[in-house]
Amino acid sequence: MSKIHLLSPRLANQIAAGEVVERPANIVKELVENALDAGARRIEVDAEQGGVKLLRVRDDGCGIEQDDLALALSRHATSKITTLDDLEAVMTMGFRGEALASISSVSRLTLTSRFEQAEQAWQVTAEGRDMQTSVAPAAHPQGTTVEVRDLFFNTPARRKFLRTEKTEFGHLEEHLKKLALSRYDVAFTLRHNNRVIHQLRVADRGIEQERRVATLLSPDFIDHAIHVDTEAAGLQLKGWVALPTYSRSQTDMQYFYVNGRAVRDKLVVHAIRQAYRDVLYNGRHPAFVLYLELDPKLVDVNVHPTKHEVRFRDGRLVHDFLFRTLHQVLGNIRPQDQLAPASSSSLTAGVDSASAVGETRGFASGAVGNSEAANGLRLQTQAEPVRGIQAGEFRGQGGLPWQSSEPKPTPAAVAEQMNSYANLIRPLDSDTVPAAMAERPVLAGTAGFASPNDSVTSGNMATAVQTNTPVAFAGVAPAMPAGSADMPPLGFAIAQLHGIYILAENRQGLVLVDMHAAHERITYERLKAAVDRESVASQPLLVPQSMSVSEAEADAAEQYAAEFRALGVELARVGPESLLVRQIPVLLQQAPVTNLITDMLGDLIEHGSSDRILAHRNELLATMACHGSVRANRRLSVAEMNALLRDMEATERSGQCNHGRPTWTQLSMAELDKLFLRGR
Amino acid sequence: MKFVISREALLRPLQLVAGVVEKRQTLPVLSNVLLQVRGQQLSLTGTDLEVELIGRVTLDEVGIEGEITVPGKKLMDICRSLPDGAQLEIALEDQRVNVRSGRSRFTLSTLPATEFPNVDSVGEEKTFAMSQQVLRRAIDRTSFAMAQQDVRYYLNGMLFEVGQDSLRTVATDGHRLATCRVDISGPDEARQIILPRKGVLELAKLLTDADVSVTLAFSANHLRAHTENFSFTSKLVDGKFPDYTRVIPKNGTNVLIANRQELRQVFARTAILSNEKYRGVRLLLSTDILQVFANNPEQEEAEESVGVHYNGASLEMGFNVSYLQDVMSVIATENVKMTLSDANSSALLEEPEGGDSVYVVMPMRL
Ligand SMILES: Nc1ncnc2c1ncn2[C@@H]1O[C@H](COP(=O)(O)OP(=O)(O)OP(=O)(O)O)[C@@H](O)[C@H]1O
Ligand SMILES: [Mg+2]
Ligand SMILES: [Zn+2]
Repeated sequence: MSKIHLLSPRLANQIAAGEVVERPANIVKELVENALDAGARRIEVDAEQGGVKLLRVRDDGCGIEQDDLALALSRHATSKITTLDDLEAVMTMGFRGEALASISSVSRLTLTSRFEQAEQAWQVTAEGRDMQTSVAPAAHPQGTTVEVRDLFFNTPARRKFLRTEKTEFGHLEEHLKKLALSRYDVAFTLRHNNRVIHQLRVADRGIEQERRVATLLSPDFIDHAIHVDTEAAGLQLKGWVALPTYSRSQTDMQYFYVNGRAVRDKLVVHAIRQAYRDVLYNGRHPAFVLYLELDPKLVDVNVHPTKHEVRFRDGRLVHDFLFRTLHQVLGNIRPQDQLAPASSSSLTAGVDSASAVGETRGFASGAVGNSEAANGLRLQTQAEPVRGIQAGEFRGQGGLPWQSSEPKPTPAAVAEQMNSYANLIRPLDSDTVPAAMAERPVLAGTAGFASPNDSVTSGNMATAVQTNTPVAFAGVAPAMPAGSADMPPLGFAIAQLHGIYILAENRQGLVLVDMHAAHERITYERLKAAVDRESVASQPLLVPQSMSVSEAEADAAEQYAAEFRALGVELARVGPESLLVRQIPVLLQQAPVTNLITDMLGDLIEHGSSDRILAHRNELLATMACHGSVRANRRLSVAEMNALLRDMEATERSGQCNHGRPTWTQLSMAELDKLFLRGR
Repeated sequence: MKFVISREALLRPLQLVAGVVEKRQTLPVLSNVLLQVRGQQLSLTGTDLEVELIGRVTLDEVGIEGEITVPGKKLMDICRSLPDGAQLEIALEDQRVNVRSGRSRFTLSTLPATEFPNVDSVGEEKTFAMSQQVLRRAIDRTSFAMAQQDVRYYLNGMLFEVGQDSLRTVATDGHRLATCRVDISGPDEARQIILPRKGVLELAKLLTDADVSVTLAFSANHLRAHTENFSFTSKLVDGKFPDYTRVIPKNGTNVLIANRQELRQVFARTAILSNEKYRGVRLLLSTDILQVFANNPEQEEAEESVGVHYNGASLEMGFNVSYLQDVMSVIATENVKMTLSDANSSALLEEPEGGDSVYVVMPMRL
C-alpha cells in the first residue's frame, strides 16, 4: 500500500460530485435552486446537446459580492446556514455549500455575477488539481450566470454513463418542471439547442397557476383535477389531485412538495394511494401536484445527498392528515362537480360566483406585501369566469392560489434580497398558454354512439314507455324543459340502452350511465355506512393460530396491542419470534388472517398505522355490493332509473364503481352538435 | 375389451367413481375412468391423485378381457340418460369405445390404460374390520366442522384416532369442534391419521347404512377402505392436528337443556335477520328462559323466547347461529344439553344422556 496523503481538492470534489452530479439534470437542479435561493424572479436555462455540451443558468437574483466569488466555488462554503440550529429549520434549497464545488470539479465552470449594489460584474473560474480560482472583471446585469461546459470532460468513466441527448434532455426538462411547479412567483425559460421549450410567466393568480400546471403536465390533468386547500394541526395541503377516472399507467404525474422542495417519500405515497384505494382502477396510479407546508422544524431534509427524501418528525400525523384530507376530497366529488357549466354565465347549481371572487380578492390583498406591481393584475380575477370542475370544487375551499401569501420565513439575508428585487417582476413578452387549454377534449367513443344501428332497441323503449302507472312517472317531471333551473345535475332518464346504459337528459345535454357500475357503488357505500354503524364483532378462536414473525414484528404486536384490539384482533406473544392469534374480526373469518396480520405489522412499523382490516372488509363488502346490484339486462322503469340518478347525486364517490371504472359520462350539446356539424 | 351390462348395474359404481374425478383437469387422463375386464369382473377406477376409487361389478356373462380409459363424465351422462332397464354393450374397437344400447350408438375417445396413474401403495401396516354403519356415523356426525380452505391445511380434513377398542373422529375449523367416539375392535397399536376433506366426503358416500363390514388399512401415507364392491384409497395429510382434549371445556357449571326441534326452529327464524355475513345472534339466559336476539345492518330485528331447563347464572352470549344450527341438525335426541361457564368461554353441546358425540362452539363478541 502507498503512503497516506491528502486528496487534491479537485479529486475530493470529484468524489463528492459522485453523490450529487450524475447527469446534466442534477446540475440544472442545483443551479436553479441557487438562483431561487438568491431571490431570482426570472430564471433562464439554456442547454446544448442535452446539457452535456453546455448548460447555462441565468438569474436576476441578488448576485455575489466580489470578495465571495472565490469562496462560492469551494467546498463547505455557504451563505445559507451558520449553525446546526439553522440546519434544523432550513428554509433555503441549498445548505451544504457543496454544489458549485462539485460541479466545477467535473466540468468547465464559469460563474459571472454582479452584486446588487456593485457597479461592476466579476467572473470566476477554478482550474487545476488545486482548483485555484481566478477572478476577472466582466459585463453582466445584476444577478448571476453559471455556465457549465463539457460535463465529465475530465472523468471519462462517468461520461460513459450518459445516455442519448434526447434522454438527458428529458431528465433535465423533468427536473426543471419540478422546480417550476414549486415557484409560481418566478418566471422560467428553458431553451434547448437555441429552441424555446418552455416559457413560463410569473403566475400569481390561481387561473395562471393552473395554466402553468396545464402547460407542464397536460391540459387534461387540470381539466380533471380537484383543487385542494386544507389546513389542520399546523399542516397545510394545497394543490390539485386528479379525479380517479383520470388515472395513469405510471407514477409519472405525481408531484409532491414539502415546504417547496420536491420529494419522493414512501410515507406520502402510501397515504395518497390509500386515499385513492376505493376509487382507483386496479393497477392504475393517481396523478397529483400537491404542496405540503409545515413547520420546518418538524421535517428533516438532510437525509439524502440529493435532498429527495425527507424525514418527518411525526410521520403518523402527516400520514393521517394526507389520507384524511384526500379521502374526504375524493369522497365529496359529486356528479354536479364534474359537469361543465352549460355556459360560462350560468354556473352549475349552487356555485356562488360572488363568493369565489371574494376569496380570490382575499388572497390578492394578502399578497400585497410581496409586490405592488402585481396587485393590479390580481384584482382582475373578478372578471375571470370560473370553469367546470373548479366551479364546484373551489366553493368554500379558500380561493385558487396554492402559495401562502405571507413571505416565507427565509433566513434574513435571502428574505431581504428577495424583497428588494420584487420590483423586477414583469410579465414576459410572449404568451405561452397552449391553445388546447381553451377547449375540453371531445369524449372518446362518440363514433359508436353516432351509429344509427345502435339506437335504442324497441324492447327497451317499450319498457320505458310502459311505465304508465302514476307511481312510475312520479320522478319524471315531464313538464320540465331541459334547461330549467330545477333540473337535477344528472337530469331525467329517457331510456335504457341495450339493458346496460341509462340515457338521461340534463341541462348540458346527454348523460350516459352504466347502471350496474353506478348501482354497485351506491350499494357499496350503503353497506360500508351500515357496517360502520355497528361495533366490531370479533370471533375468539377455539384453536388459536400461531404465526412466526420477526422480532421487530413481535415487538410491534405488543406495542400496538390496543390498536389491534380496537379492530377485533387479539394477539399474544408466545416467544421472541412467535405470536398467537387469539381473536379475529368475524367479518374476516374466511380471510388469510396470518398474511393480513403480517402486512398490518409491516404497515405499523413503517407508518404507525394500518388500514388493512378496513381494506379487506371493504373488499368483502364490494363483492357483496356487486352481487346485490342490478345486473345488465335488468329492465328498469323510468322511475327506477330516475331514482338511481338521484342516488348517484347523493352518494360519495359515485363517479366510479367499486373497481374504479367510471359510472357515467356526459355528452354536451356542443359535442353532439359537433357530431352533426351543426352551428358551423 | 368387450362386455354387456345393465344400465343400473353400471350406474351406481360409475357415479361414485366419477365423483372422485375432478371436473377441470390439466392432465387429460385424470378426467377419464379406467375400465378393466377380467373374466366375469368389471372394475372402474377414478382418481385425482389424492383419492382413488375402484368400483367392482360382476358381469352376467364373461366378457372379452382388456382395459382402456374413457371420459368419465360423458360415459356417466350417457348411462344416466338411457331408459331404465337398458342393456349396454361396451366394446373397444380401433382405439375408440363404442357404447351400444337398443338403437343408440355412441363412440367415445380413449386414452391407453398404461397412461392411467395409480396411487402408490406403500407397504400396508394395520388392518382391521368394522361396521360400515358405525364408520359412517362417526364421519357424518363430525364432518360438517371441517375447515374448507384454511391455510392450516391439516384442518381441511378429519382426524381418525384408532385404538384397541375405539375409533374417534375429530373435525374443527378453528372456531368450533366436533368429535365422535364409537366402539370397535381395532388394532393393537393406537394410531392417529388425518384424512383430507375430499377423502372424508367420498368415503362417506361409499358406506352403506347397513351393518356390513368394511376393512380399513393404514399405511404410512395412505388409508384404504375395502368393501365387497369398492376399494378406496386416499393420501393422508401430514401435520399435527390440534389436541382436542384441551379444547373440550371441562369446567362449565351452567347447564341448559332444551327441546332440540324447538331450539332448531328458533335459530332458523332468528337467523333470517342476523347479519348475513357473520350471522351473529345473542343468547340471553335466565332461569328456565332462553331469549334469542338478532339484528342486521338494515336495523331489522328478531326476538324469540323459549322455555328451557336452566337454573344457572344469568348469561348473555353471542354466537354464530350457523354453528349452533349445524349441531342441532346432527344431534338426533329429543333434547339437547348445552354447558356454559361464561360469556367468553366455549360452549359444550351434546346429547343429554352423554351419547357418543361432543360439540364445542366458541362464542362471538358482538
Ligand atoms: N445564483 C446565485 N446567486 C447568488 N448567490 C449564489 C448563486 N449561486 C451560488 N451562490 C452562492 O454560492 C454559495 C455556494 O453555492 P452552492 O450551491 O455550492 O452551495 P449552497 O447552495 O449553499 O448549498 P448546496 O450545496 O446545498 O446547494 C451559496 O451559498 C451562495 O451564497
Ligand atoms: Mg446550492
Ligand atoms: Zn360488479
